[in-house]
Amino acid sequence: MGGKSKSIFRLSMIMLLSLSVILSGCGGNNNAANSGSGNNGKQAESGNNTGDKVEPLEITAFIGEAGQQPTPDNKIYKKIKDELGVTIKMEFLAGDINQKLGVMIAGSDYPDIMTANTKLTAAGAFIPLEDLIEEHAPNLKKHYEKYWNMMKDPNDGHIYILPNYGAYNGEVSTTWYSGPAFWVQKAVLEDAGYPQVKTLDEYFDLIAKYKEKYPTIDGSPTIGFEILNYDWRNWGLFNAPQHLIGQPNDGGVVVKDGKAEIFADKDSAKQYYQKLNEVNAQGLVDKETFTQNYDQYLAKISSGTVLGMFDQHWNFQTAEDALTTQQKLERTYVGLPLVYDKNTKDHYLDRPALNLNNGFGISVNGKDKAVQILKMWDRMIQEDWQKVLSWGIEGEDYIVNEESRFMKTQEQRDDFTDATWKLANKADAFYKFSPKMQGYFEDGNATDAAAQPEEYKAGLKEYDKKFLEAYGYNSYVDFFSPAPENPIYYPAWSVDLVEGSEAKIVNTKQNDLSTKYLPKAILAKPTEFEAVWSDYAKEIGKLNIKAYEDRINEVLQWRIDTWTVK
Amino acid sequence: MDETLTKKSAFRKPKKAKKQPITWSLIKDQKQLIFMSVPLLAYIILFAYVPIWGWTMAFQDYKPALDFGDQKWVGFKHFKFLFQDDNFLRVLRNTLGMSIINLILGFVTAIILALLLNEIKKIFWKRTVQTISYLPHFLSWIIVTGIVATSLASDGIINDLLMKLHLIKEPILWLSEGKYFWGVVGASHVWKEVGWNTIIYLAAMASIDPALYEAADIDGASRYSKMRHVTLPGIKPTIVILLIMQVGHILEAGFEIQYLLGNGLVVDWAETIDIFVLKYGIAQGNYSMATAGGIFKTVVSVTMLLIANWTAKRLGEERLL
Repeated sequence: MGGKSKSIFRLSMIMLLSLSVILSGCGGNNNAANSGSGNNGKQAESGNNTGDKVEPLEITAFIGEAGQQPTPDNKIYKKIKDELGVTIKMEFLAGDINQKLGVMIAGSDYPDIMTANTKLTAAGAFIPLEDLIEEHAPNLKKHYEKYWNMMKDPNDGHIYILPNYGAYNGEVSTTWYSGPAFWVQKAVLEDAGYPQVKTLDEYFDLIAKYKEKYPTIDGSPTIGFEILNYDWRNWGLFNAPQHLIGQPNDGGVVVKDGKAEIFADKDSAKQYYQKLNEVNAQGLVDKETFTQNYDQYLAKISSGTVLGMFDQHWNFQTAEDALTTQQKLERTYVGLPLVYDKNTKDHYLDRPALNLNNGFGISVNGKDKAVQILKMWDRMIQEDWQKVLSWGIEGEDYIVNEESRFMKTQEQRDDFTDATWKLANKADAFYKFSPKMQGYFEDGNATDAAAQPEEYKAGLKEYDKKFLEAYGYNSYVDFFSPAPENPIYYPAWSVDLVEGSEAKIVNTKQNDLSTKYLPKAILAKPTEFEAVWSDYAKEIGKLNIKAYEDRINEVLQWRIDTWTVK
Repeated sequence: MDETLTKKSAFRKPKKAKKQPITWSLIKDQKQLIFMSVPLLAYIILFAYVPIWGWTMAFQDYKPALDFGDQKWVGFKHFKFLFQDDNFLRVLRNTLGMSIINLILGFVTAIILALLLNEIKKIFWKRTVQTISYLPHFLSWIIVTGIVATSLASDGIINDLLMKLHLIKEPILWLSEGKYFWGVVGASHVWKEVGWNTIIYLAAMASIDPALYEAADIDGASRYSKMRHVTLPGIKPTIVILLIMQVGHILEAGFEIQYLLGNGLVVDWAETIDIFVLKYGIAQGNYSMATAGGIFKTVVSVTMLLIANWTAKRLGEERLL
């Protein structure tokens, strides 16, 4: 080789090198991640002394909602690590869930366990669990025994997800209602002398009278009624009609005798929106209700000026907590199960159904650890661990009184509402999505502090005690009629419409039309309501609603066939 | 390697022939330049050309879990869905409408502001105004839409101001009337981007030969005629180049602002192609439809770019390509 050729050789080597440096930027992450987890695995090993049920293990988890990392020295996670040998590394959702899932799916970049999402199931990201559970996790199997068939995916009959809520042992009682209702400020009922409110008309009469009497609250104008319809939080506008005719929450359909039908364009819905149109003309509906975003909605509620709204309790929970913190207890809310006429029995309160498409599944990448992960959950579903995860550590987080009932001191109660304290002392993020015992422990204590009746009473504020006394109720749940037995197929809202299918597209289009026309109908002059409504009904008529209803009915029928215990 | 070396010696002879533009010695002379261009080339290949392969998705019923060979090919199904949807013309109109408003408002306001700034003789004031006007550029849209929504609320600053000036009697609900929406979007864009857009014009103005201004002074030109006959013609090439580039982005009316400010009442005026594709493509897990939407936008963009470039050439102006 001559000098020239040598330099060209060198040049091409340099070019090759620089290219490889750039390319390695793409592939390098995996190695780094692997070696990182390798080290941590060793740490977990060294920290493992007593974990006899589960081998030392580090699992990565994706939590499909925003959240905060627990503190590094978190009490419960440390206990899990010390006694079960399991280190859990969690990644919380930041930003848009669809975008995040798209990226994860495109790169098959899955952590070991992930919270359920139909997109992930459709992409084949989860592994079937039924055989593994049968073989390795007897306690888990016992926990889900009654629900086994329900957990199977309607599309291929495998179990991919372990539902986080809804697997009960024994009777269900609760003191806390988190579902949909017409909410009204306690002050409104108090001012009217604690009346029984049953119908929509009575409800708006009360609000109108209160607003007239008190045009401002703490200096700001009183807002009669709020309707939130922002992004996916659309039930404030869409869902009320089914409840008003005495049906439970089935999402976009009303199910009668196992047959689902949409109600958005039916007369039962029209009656509700016409009423809203009427009260809007009276000036009861917030002018900005359809342009506000979720934050503005919460801000209005926390200011204490909103008299009522239709919503699910958990959706405005943070705003109500803010009112409690400000000591404005009379501005917090009571849920009312309204119906159109007094002869209809309300069906807001329902018996908890298995929370399908929620909870953890094990990903294809976590296949090798699947048995160990299931063994961990198998251990955790036993009573001693359930007590730790739900109530905390005895003596530190709760006390056991002479009658061996679990109670809390006021200080412990305050701790449990303190987000910062919880990050260091509770494993909430993981527990929330894990399989859990609900109902009662063998010793008769409730699995959840909120469901322990004497604990609930002891924790009530003076104002609420007086309020409930005036009605003669034990808790705010008593405003609702007791929940009847669920039909086997209930609830229809958990039907997976299948990504990209005609049914899903029709559903999206129908929601688009409702988002567009219902606000128009409500804000129209009362004389123009009919015209807007008939436009709306006509547009809906153009859609292939049958495809949507057929899909729901198909799954309901499938549930009736496979879920019925023979 | 051997092969390369023999090729190299074969090329050495015709080195002196004039019609052989790329020779080994030329390469050798410019090896630093070539070396420097390698990362850029690799970047372009990796991030601009390799992803084009993904366009095949638009012609399949793409399922992320399957391998390429197992995908189902469906031809133009997704394009048909896109173009035949009742809403498509509406979202296309909205996209073009808002895009053109942004384009015109953006150009006019930026050029006017640049001309005004150019006339300020005190450097301190010039810098202050410039800095204040381009700061909003660094805010993300989520913050800007928050500010816009608050300002336009019934008790917001805009309504307060108009009421105090007795221009209106009742607060106007800006965000619940479709007819205001494009204007709100255009004005928000101007507020956010005007300062930033002036920077390039100010740079172009700085490069105008001062002798031209002196000559104009001697001819007795006023300030306004100097602006019109010296400054504006001086920055004309810059304006044309930027215009060509902007025309290529004609289907990019933005996404965040419409998504964040839109609501049921203004949906007829607020939904753009991007939102439509998000709703019926990505949000449905229908990546094929989303890709079809992307291809449509790219094809329109390239076509518009070429047309603008060709027109500029015809008019004897500066060109991009």
